[in-house]
Amino acid sequence: MVDLSQYTLTCALIPFIPLIGFLINGIGFRHIPKGLVGLTGSAASILSFGLSLYLFNAFLAGGNQSFTVYLFDWITVGDLRISFSFLIDQLSLLMLLIITGVGSLIHIYSIGYMKHDAGYGKFFAFLNLFLFSMLLLVMGSNYPIMFIGWEGVGLCSYLLIGFWNKNTNYNNAARKAFIMNRIGDLGFLLGIFLIFYTLGSVEFTEVMPKAATVFGVDDGTVIAITLLLFVGAMGKSAQIPLYTWLPDAMAGPTPVSALIHAATMVTAGIYMVIRSNVLYTLAPTTLGVVAVIGLATALLAATIGIFQNDIKKVLAYSTVSQLGYMFLGLGVAAYSSAMFHVITHAFFKALLFLGAGSVIHAMSDEQDIRRMGGLRRHLPVTFATFLVATIAIAGIPPFSGFFSKDEILMHVYEHSPVMWVLAVIGSMMTSFYMFRLLFLTFAGTFRGTHEQEHHLHESPASMTIPLLVLAILSAAGGVLGLPEVLGGGNWLAKFMSPLFDLSRQVRPESFTQTHLSHSQEYILMGVSVAAALLALGAAAVLYVSRKAVPAPEGTRLPALQNLIYNKYYVDEFYNNIIVKPLLALGDFLYGVFEFLVIDLIVNGVGKATNGLSGVFRRFQTGNIGFYIISMVVGIIVILLINLRGFIL
Amino acid sequence: MFYSVVLLSIFGILNLFLGFLKSRAWLLPVTLLFLATALVVTLTDWNKSLFFWNYMMSTDNVSVAFATIIIVSAMLILPLSRFYFPNAAAPVPEYYAILLFSVVGAILMVTYENIIMLFLGLETLSIAMYILAGSDKRNPRSHEAALKYFLMGAFATGILLFGVAMLYGATGTFNLSGLAQYVRTTLVNGASPMLYLGLTLVLIGILFKLSVAPFHFWTPDVYDGTPTLFTAFMATVVKTAGFAALYKILSVSFTGIYSVWWITLAATSVLTLLIGNITAVYQQSFKRMLAYSSISHAGYLLIAVTAMGQTSQSSILFYSLAYTLATITSFAVLILVNENRAGESFSAFNGLARHNPFLAFALTVAMCSLAGIPLTGGFFGKFYIFINALEKGLLFLLVVAVLMSAVGIYYYFRVVIAMYMRGSDDNAVADRIIVPKSYAAVLAITTFLTILLGVAPDLLVRYF
Repeated sequence: MVDLSQYTLTCALIPFIPLIGFLINGIGFRHIPKGLVGLTGSAASILSFGLSLYLFNAFLAGGNQSFTVYLFDWITVGDLRISFSFLIDQLSLLMLLIITGVGSLIHIYSIGYMKHDAGYGKFFAFLNLFLFSMLLLVMGSNYPIMFIGWEGVGLCSYLLIGFWNKNTNYNNAARKAFIMNRIGDLGFLLGIFLIFYTLGSVEFTEVMPKAATVFGVDDGTVIAITLLLFVGAMGKSAQIPLYTWLPDAMAGPTPVSALIHAATMVTAGIYMVIRSNVLYTLAPTTLGVVAVIGLATALLAATIGIFQNDIKKVLAYSTVSQLGYMFLGLGVAAYSSAMFHVITHAFFKALLFLGAGSVIHAMSDEQDIRRMGGLRRHLPVTFATFLVATIAIAGIPPFSGFFSKDEILMHVYEHSPVMWVLAVIGSMMTSFYMFRLLFLTFAGTFRGTHEQEHHLHESPASMTIPLLVLAILSAAGGVLGLPEVLGGGNWLAKFMSPLFDLSRQVRPESFTQTHLSHSQEYILMGVSVAAALLALGAAAVLYVSRKAVPAPEGTRLPALQNLIYNKYYVDEFYNNIIVKPLLALGDFLYGVFEFLVIDLIVNGVGKATNGLSGVFRRFQTGNIGFYIISMVVGIIVILLINLRGFIL
Repeated sequence: MFYSVVLLSIFGILNLFLGFLKSRAWLLPVTLLFLATALVVTLTDWNKSLFFWNYMMSTDNVSVAFATIIIVSAMLILPLSRFYFPNAAAPVPEYYAILLFSVVGAILMVTYENIIMLFLGLETLSIAMYILAGSDKRNPRSHEAALKYFLMGAFATGILLFGVAMLYGATGTFNLSGLAQYVRTTLVNGASPMLYLGLTLVLIGILFKLSVAPFHFWTPDVYDGTPTLFTAFMATVVKTAGFAALYKILSVSFTGIYSVWWITLAATSVLTLLIGNITAVYQQSFKRMLAYSSISHAGYLLIAVTAMGQTSQSSILFYSLAYTLATITSFAVLILVNENRAGESFSAFNGLARHNPFLAFALTVAMCSLAGIPLTGGFFGKFYIFINALEKGLLFLLVVAVLMSAVGIYYYFRVVIAMYMRGSDDNAVADRIIVPKSYAAVLAITTFLTILLGVAPDLLVRYF
């Protein structure tokens, strides 16, 4: 057994160091010199990472015993007792390492990237606040604490997307992200209420065993709970139909895109599903929904990604698409495979975004890949690392993306071969649009203005070092879950296995060992790799040999391409179906209801009070005789009331 | 408590002798020291249950707490007198002595065991107040206030004394425990009209001092005419002592006949809330508004007494403290504004925020507290009282109280609007008020405590 008490302080410090960093930079950002701001912000994150590593080691040394760190009672109302406590187990530790590790690299990167920005201190304060919220989210030992983090993350993403708040479009993007997330939050919140209502607790360690005994498989209540929770996950993790905020969120500074919209925040939904895996295992129906939505999202986003011309937008859609794969994995109850993909995705997606940031930095804030090209010579480090990340995300061995995606695909195949075919097609598209992006940006000749060409330069060390570190991780991350068939032990799956003990008990059939033979596995791998390579080849032919460049803005596109280029008009659809009617209703309420009903009532009450006051005031005559008479009358009335029994 | 009463009486007399000294610089610090001594002596009675003078006085934690509030409010109001008497001939030592004597009266009112002591305390306090109300000898309004207060106070005292006599006639005792004994045992078999009459008259006598409607008529006129420094004293010390006395007599002796007196209190409380809050809306003078506000707060406090539940005493204590702190802030700012801008109307506060952000902030916090806005003590004060009412099922009272606190926001925020949103049109008004150190210290303390009570009410509540 581990001695818990000695880790209380460590656990408390992991989230609170970034909070202190936020307070220092947030309160003092006008007074603290620039150098110190970046240092404080990064130091907070790195310290947190160090502590997480320490905790992780202690956890391994202590025999993988999960434990709860109790800090204080937070809310006590009747039966509801919510403590402020942290649950430390395999899942939260993995998330801690990703968040603080990737987070630290992004902090360091930001020192260089944001150097010339006026809101430097503000930026680091928000980044630290974000880390704090995200850490709360993954460490909380009950749903409400998770919800605080969940909301905090939403708030920070709002603040950071709209960081350049002088631009109305950016503010709109921030609002869109916030509102979309709020819709999801409502589902999440209702799910929590339903959990408390049916199980009488919100503590993970109490909810899960209770759920296993109270609910049967596919009980209506557990389906409702899991669907509601999944609505929350849809919002946070950008799944159909709540995915449209993520591409718009690219309005924020690029490190933000890397941190929030690729590596950490969007994985919150996946974390939550894995955390509630018992509930989901109990509801195969919901899992089916999750799988279908995940797959649909993966395909839809991938098709849109093919035709985007903004370097960050392409990456944004690829994020949505990869998240789709993760949910697909969850949907087939391959929880640890989904987590594996979360980890590798955090590495290569952070790398891609930071690389894109480096490109944008060099291109004087140009983001359109039609005006880039030939950057390989000017940005060698960025190119090399971007290449690594692209190979990783495309699923070409031996880089990390191959292993995690392949593990998911394998489980999907066991579940349903049709889904597998669709998923492989999706991964082919992934490979195509990623290499398209790579070639258009780095190969060929420069297509921008002379001024931009003159200005081209490799980024400073503070930016390239995080790139290199992430490149190593993206390349080698697959080691974590090397499958048996390739001679590995799949360490990750074994490590996470205790998390699913209870799920295994309630529905053993969903966890049966793989019945695929090794040759089948080789064939599946071979097919997906071949698909990826094929797509790579197609992209190379199109954009390197033929030097094709996407048509400039305003040219007429073929109908289907036009439809996809405009993202299937989903934004416009939402706008017409939801936003406009709401606005019209608002106009009506403001123009008619407020004016005729509310104003009348409110002003009426005010006037009545005033009038009454004018009447009451007249009693204050200043005449003592009158005062005393009123007193006497008062006394008589009171006596009459009190002594009525004796008089009557 | 016994020693603090004795000490304060001696200190009062000493203060009169200090008047012979040429230098007045020592007067204020010495008086504050006197009060601080009394406070320390009072606090030594914490966690003791004692009787003094052959069951004339009794102390417990509640009376210690009330006495502490009284002495602390005196200590907070006294520093405001620093520049209050520009006239060198003003008999300041006498004022201080009278204030000390009035504190003695107030302490008697919270510690009495024998009703005679209640009467004694009430009269000591009242007579001191009559004199202080008329202390601005050149101002006819001050004379008017003193005379009105005295005439009506005398009337109320007569009624109180009459009630005491009736109680004695019915029970043969002046002691609270004796009365309780009588209510518990003898009364079981039948009602006693004389006891009920006596109780009602005693209640009326006390309600008068608390400016509860329909016995509130003196309040606006007297508060208005009295020099502001002493108005602050009336609005805080007198009210706290009065509620302590009312709560003590009812909770110790008359819980057995709750059905007899609760209607009186409930009805007067509704009337007080209505009249206090609604009439305040019309006022143009900040000082007069505060007078009505003091009436309305008596209404809220009366709800807690009416509910007479397990936690009533702690809510009365909490509310009194929150109300006292906010009221002292308001009067302190009013004194400064009146002296520098020559006016007590709302418009005298125009644009104060620009020139004196600290004063404006302190007054805003005080107004929020009086209106019951969260994060101030006043919010939790109201919250606890409303809980009391809810537990007792006094829904009607609760509805009136909630509605009237909404009205309260209107008139309390008028001054905030004036300070922050109106520019000062008059050039003379635009001048920055120089805040004396003693005022700044008092305002800092009251504002800090108001916010502290609003953020961590548990600091106080857990003791009761």
